[in-house]
Amino acid sequence: MGAMAGISNSKSGFIIYLCVGYYLIMAVLAPGFFTLNNTMNLLFNLLPLLIIAIGQTYVMLTAGIDLSVTSIVAMCSVLGGFMMSSDTGLFQSEFAAILFGISTMLLGGALIGTINGFAVAKLGMPAFMVTLTTMILFSGLAIWLTQSQNLYNLPEAFIDMPYTSLLGIPIPVYVGLLVVLVAYFLLNRTIFGEWIYAVGANTKTAKISGVNVPKTIVLVYVFSGLCAAVGAILYTARLETGSPVMGQNILLDVIGAVVIGGTSLFGGKGKIAWTFFGALFMTLLDNSLNLLNLSFFIIMVVKGSVILGAAILNTVLEKSLKAT
Amino acid sequence: MKWILNKNMQRLLDNSTMVLFALTVLFFSLLSPEFFSFNNFFNILVQGAALAILATGMTFVLLTAGIDLSVGSIMFLVGVISGKMVVSGLPLWFAGVIVLGIGLAFGFVNALFIFRLKVIPFIVTLATFYAGRGLGLLISDTRAINLPESLLKLGSGKIWGIPVPILLMLIVVFLAYFILTRTNFGKHVYAVGHDPEKSRKAGISVNRVLLKVYLICGFCAALGGLVAISQLGAISPTFGLQSEFMAIAAAILGGTSLFGGRGSVFPGTLIGVLLIQSIQNGLVMINADPYLHPLITGSIIFLIVMIDSLQNMRRKKAKKLGLN
Amino acid sequence: MLLKMNKISKSFGEVAVLKSIDLKLEKGQLLGLVGENGAGKSTLMNILGGLFAPSRGTMELNAEPFIPNSPNDALKAGIAFVHQELNLFTNLTVMENLFISDFPKKSMLGLSFLDRKKAIRKTDELLSEMGLSISPLAKVDQLTAAQQQLLEITKILNNSPQIIIFDEPTTSLTRYETEKLFSLIRKLKADGTGIIYISHNLEDVMLLADQIMVLRDGQLICQEDKTALSIPKLVKAMVGRDLDQYFPSRTTMPAEENLLEVKHLFGGLVQEVSFSIRKQEVLGFYGLVGAGRSELARLLYGLDPFTSGNIRWKRNKISKPSPTKWVHEGMAFLTENRREEGLMIQQSIEKNIQLAGLTKERSLGNLIPKQIIKNKVRQQANANKIKYHDISRQAVATLSGGNQQKVVLAKWLLLGPELLILDEPTKGIDIGARHEIYTLTNNLVKAGSSILLISSDIEELIGLCDRILVMSEGRLTKEFQKGSFDRSNILAAALHGQEKDEKR
Repeated sequence: MGAMAGISNSKSGFIIYLCVGYYLIMAVLAPGFFTLNNTMNLLFNLLPLLIIAIGQTYVMLTAGIDLSVTSIVAMCSVLGGFMMSSDTGLFQSEFAAILFGISTMLLGGALIGTINGFAVAKLGMPAFMVTLTTMILFSGLAIWLTQSQNLYNLPEAFIDMPYTSLLGIPIPVYVGLLVVLVAYFLLNRTIFGEWIYAVGANTKTAKISGVNVPKTIVLVYVFSGLCAAVGAILYTARLETGSPVMGQNILLDVIGAVVIGGTSLFGGKGKIAWTFFGALFMTLLDNSLNLLNLSFFIIMVVKGSVILGAAILNTVLEKSLKAT
Repeated sequence: MKWILNKNMQRLLDNSTMVLFALTVLFFSLLSPEFFSFNNFFNILVQGAALAILATGMTFVLLTAGIDLSVGSIMFLVGVISGKMVVSGLPLWFAGVIVLGIGLAFGFVNALFIFRLKVIPFIVTLATFYAGRGLGLLISDTRAINLPESLLKLGSGKIWGIPVPILLMLIVVFLAYFILTRTNFGKHVYAVGHDPEKSRKAGISVNRVLLKVYLICGFCAALGGLVAISQLGAISPTFGLQSEFMAIAAAILGGTSLFGGRGSVFPGTLIGVLLIQSIQNGLVMINADPYLHPLITGSIIFLIVMIDSLQNMRRKKAKKLGLN
Repeated sequence: MLLKMNKISKSFGEVAVLKSIDLKLEKGQLLGLVGENGAGKSTLMNILGGLFAPSRGTMELNAEPFIPNSPNDALKAGIAFVHQELNLFTNLTVMENLFISDFPKKSMLGLSFLDRKKAIRKTDELLSEMGLSISPLAKVDQLTAAQQQLLEITKILNNSPQIIIFDEPTTSLTRYETEKLFSLIRKLKADGTGIIYISHNLEDVMLLADQIMVLRDGQLICQEDKTALSIPKLVKAMVGRDLDQYFPSRTTMPAEENLLEVKHLFGGLVQEVSFSIRKQEVLGFYGLVGAGRSELARLLYGLDPFTSGNIRWKRNKISKPSPTKWVHEGMAFLTENRREEGLMIQQSIEKNIQLAGLTKERSLGNLIPKQIIKNKVRQQANANKIKYHDISRQAVATLSGGNQQKVVLAKWLLLGPELLILDEPTKGIDIGARHEIYTLTNNLVKAGSSILLISSDIEELIGLCDRILVMSEGRLTKEFQKGSFDRSNILAAALHGQEKDEKR
C-alpha cells in the first residue's frame, strides 16, 4: 500500500531535513548566522522569493513554465515607481499614491500573466517560447520606459513598510502569510485547485472529464503574474526605488526553489509546502554562503550543483516509484 | 477561424520566416539607403557569424527535442580562458585547441546527465549554465579582460578575400547541412527527435545520438565564443548572457520545432540568424533608440512563434476533418 | 515445421491472459487468427514478436528453440510484425524511412556517406514492386493512411522475413487497396513465407487463410483447416458462451421521449449519420474497427470538430458541443483508451473519482465540501467493488486493468449522467469485472439514464441493448430492434454494409 504516499512523504521530508540540517550546521560554522539580525535578513530575502516561487509552482503544476517572472517584477517595479514617485507627482496625497501604485502593480502583473496564459492556452504556443519572449519584451519595455534610470523618492510610508510592525510582526510577513494561505486554500480547497492538478496530471483526461482546460491555464499564468507583482512590491519597498532591472538575477532561484521542493516539471505533482521549504533552502544557501565570505562565483557553482543534485534525486525517486 | 483555412494565406504562412525576412529587409532599405548595400550585407554576415555557429549547434539539440541553456556560459568561459592564455603569451592555436576541448567537455557532461541519469535537459543545462558562468567569473575575477591585437587580427583577417568569421560560419553551416542530410547519424537525429521509442525499435542507439548532439552543441558554443571575442576589444562579465536564448530563437525562427524532429540548419537556422541580425543591424542603421531594440526583436520573435503555432493548429484541425 | 508454439501461458498480475496455447505454422502457410478483443491474440503475437516473455511454454523456429529477448531478436530471427500502429517516422521521407536502420553507403575521402542515388534507386524498385506510385522523397506525413500502411509493409519486406504477422492490416485500406495487399500476400505465400493474419473481418480471413485458429478468453478453441469452417461456425467459436450467465437481466423499457437527436452529422470519417436515443434506452453501435463509431462519439462529445450537422439535447439545439458543456448537461464519455484519456494514472483513486462530479454545477472558486465528497467517493468506489487499500493515497497505476476501468466508471457514475457513452468498456477486461460493469450500467438505466454503447463484441451488444445500429465506412447501414437481434445478420451488415447501402 501507499507506495506513492511513502515516497511523497519522504520527499517533502527530505527537503525539510535538508533545511533543518543545513540551518544547524551553518549556525555553528557561519559567523553571525544565528543572530536576530541575520534571521530578519533571511526572512526579508525569503518572502519575495517564496511568493514568486508559489506562482511558479501553480504554472509548473500544469506542466508549464513561466520565464517571464523577472520581467514582471521589473515592469511592476517601474510602474509602481512611476505612480508613486514624488518626481512624477501624479498624486498629492501619500495614501492615494500608495493605493494607486500598488493597484497598478498588481494590475500590470495580472495583465502580463493574461498575455502569457492566452498565448499558451488559446494560441497553442509553447510555454517556454511565450514566456521567453515576454521576458525579453517586458524587461525591454521597462528599460525603455525609464531610459534605464531608477525612480526614486517613493512615499515614506511605502519604503517604511518593511520595517513597520503590526502586533510586533513586520508587514511583509503578513503579506507573505496571506499569499501562502490564499495559494494553499485555492489549491487544496477549491475546484480551481482540483483542475490545476488534473490539467497537469493528464490534459486529455481532464478535458474529457469536463475541466475547462484553457481557462485553467490562463488563470494559472495570471496567478503567477500576480505573485510576481506582489514580489515586486516587497522588493521595491525594500530597495526604496523603482528599478527596470529589478529581479534580473532571480529567475534561476525561483525555478530552483520549486524544483528542489519536489514539484515535478511534468506537472500534476507539487505542494505549496514543498515550495516553501525549497525557497527557504535557496535563501539559506545564499545567505550562509555570503556569510562564509565565499565569492559570488563559488555561490553560483554551488547553486548549480545543488539544483542538479535535487533533479537527480527527483528522477531516481520517480524511477523507484515506477518500479513498484 | 475560417481564414486559417484560406489557401493563399496558408501558402504565405508556410513561408512565414522568409516573408518576414523580406519585409524586414525592405523596411530598413526604405528607411536607410546604406542598409541595402553590399558592404552592409558583409557587415551583417560578420556580425551574425558567432550567433550562426552557436545556433547551428543548438539546432542539433533542438532536433532531438532537447535544449541547451549552457551555451552562453560556455561562450563566456571560453572567452575568458582564451583571453587569459593569449594575454599571458601562450600561442593562439594552443588556446584555441584548449577552449574547444572545454566546449566538448561541457557537451559531454550535459549528455552524461541527460541519458545516464535521465534528468531533463532543461535542468541539466540550467545547472551547467550556472557552473560555467561561475567559473568564468572566478577566472576573470569579475573584471573585463582586454584582448591583444593578435586575437583581433583573426576577427578582421581575410582568407581569399573572405573575412575569417564568415568563412568559419560557412564551413560550420555547410558541415552541419551535410551531416544532417547526407549521413546516417543525421537521419537518426531526426528519428530520435520524432520518437525515441520508435527509434529504439528501429535499432538506433538513442544514447549515442544524444551524446553526439550535445558534443556538437558544446563544440559550436566554444567556436562561436572564439569568433565572437575575435571581434571584440574586451570581454566584459556580461559577455554571452542570454546568448542561449538568441540561439534558440534563431533556430525556431528558421522553422525548427522545440518538440524535435522538424527543422534544418540550412536554409532554416541560417535564415533565422540573418533575420535577427538584420533587425539589429537595421535598428542601428536607422538610429533607433537602443532601448527599443529588445522590444522590437522580442515582438517579431513572438509573432513568428505565434504564426508557427497557428499553422500547427490548422494542420491538426485539417487532419481531423479529413481534409488531408 | 516453420514455427511451433507449445503450451504458451501468460499472466499479467492476477489476470491470466493466455492459457496453454499451441500454435503450428508451416512454410508458405497462412494462419488466420481470430477472436474477440481481449481474447489474447495480441498477447500471443507479442510473445512471438519478443515483446513479452511467456509465463510458461516454449517456442521452436525451424525445429530449433526460439527464445527472443527483445523485438530486435525476433526481427533478426526473421519474424516481422506489421502493427496496427505504424512504426514510421512521419517527419522523414519515404526513402529515409525505408533505410533508417541501415542506409546504403559510399566512401569518400575515407569517410562513409549516404549513397542517396543508390538509396533512391532501391526505393523506387521496392515501391514499384509494391505497386506504390509515390516519390521516394515525399514526406511520410503527406501520404494517405493506405500509402503509409503499404510503406510499412514495404519496409518489413526489405528485411526478407520468414514469418510476417499482420495485425488488422486492412482497417485503413479501401477495397481496391485491400485487393492489392491480398495479391501481395499470396505472392509472399508462394515464396514460402509463413504468415499469421489477425483480423475481425472474417470474410477476409476465410478468403486468405489455409488454417484458422480461434481464441476466446485466452483459451485455444480450435485450429482447423479452412475447408472445415464457415463464418457462422467461426462466430460461434469466437463468442459461444452462455448468455444468461454474463448479462444481468433488465426489465426497463425505453421511454417515448427522445433525449438526444443527431441529424446529418459529417466530420472526418463520419458520413451523414442521423440517429436518436430515447430516455432509458440502451443503444448499441456495432461495426468493424475503423468503421467510424469512436469517431462519431468524439464528434458528438465535442472532442473533434464536425463539418456539418445538427445535435439536439432534450429538444434544445447544441451548436458548439464541448466536454465542459456536456458534463454540465449530464453527458459522460468513457473512452476507448482509459490510460490516455480516462485516468490520471499517477494520482490517487479518490482524485480520479471525484474529478467529473466536482466539475458539475460548481463555479471555479467554490469551496469543496471535503468530507461530503470523500464519503460519496468512498460509497461509489465500494458500489463499484474497486479493490483498493488506501483510497486517498494509492495511485491508480497500482490497480489492475479491470479495477482501473471501474475507477473511470465510478468517476462518471458519481456525476450521475443522463447519457453515458461507453466506448469498448470491457476491452481487455476479465470476465468477473465485466459482469460487475454490466450490472452497474444496468442499474444506471434502471435509475432513468440512457446509454450509448460502442462495442466490437456482438454478444455484449445483444445482451445489453434495446436497439443496435451498425456502421460501416463512416455510415449507418442497418438498424436492429430488440427481439430481432441476429448475430450473423449484424455481422453481415457490418461486413456487407456498403454493398447493401448501394443496392437500396
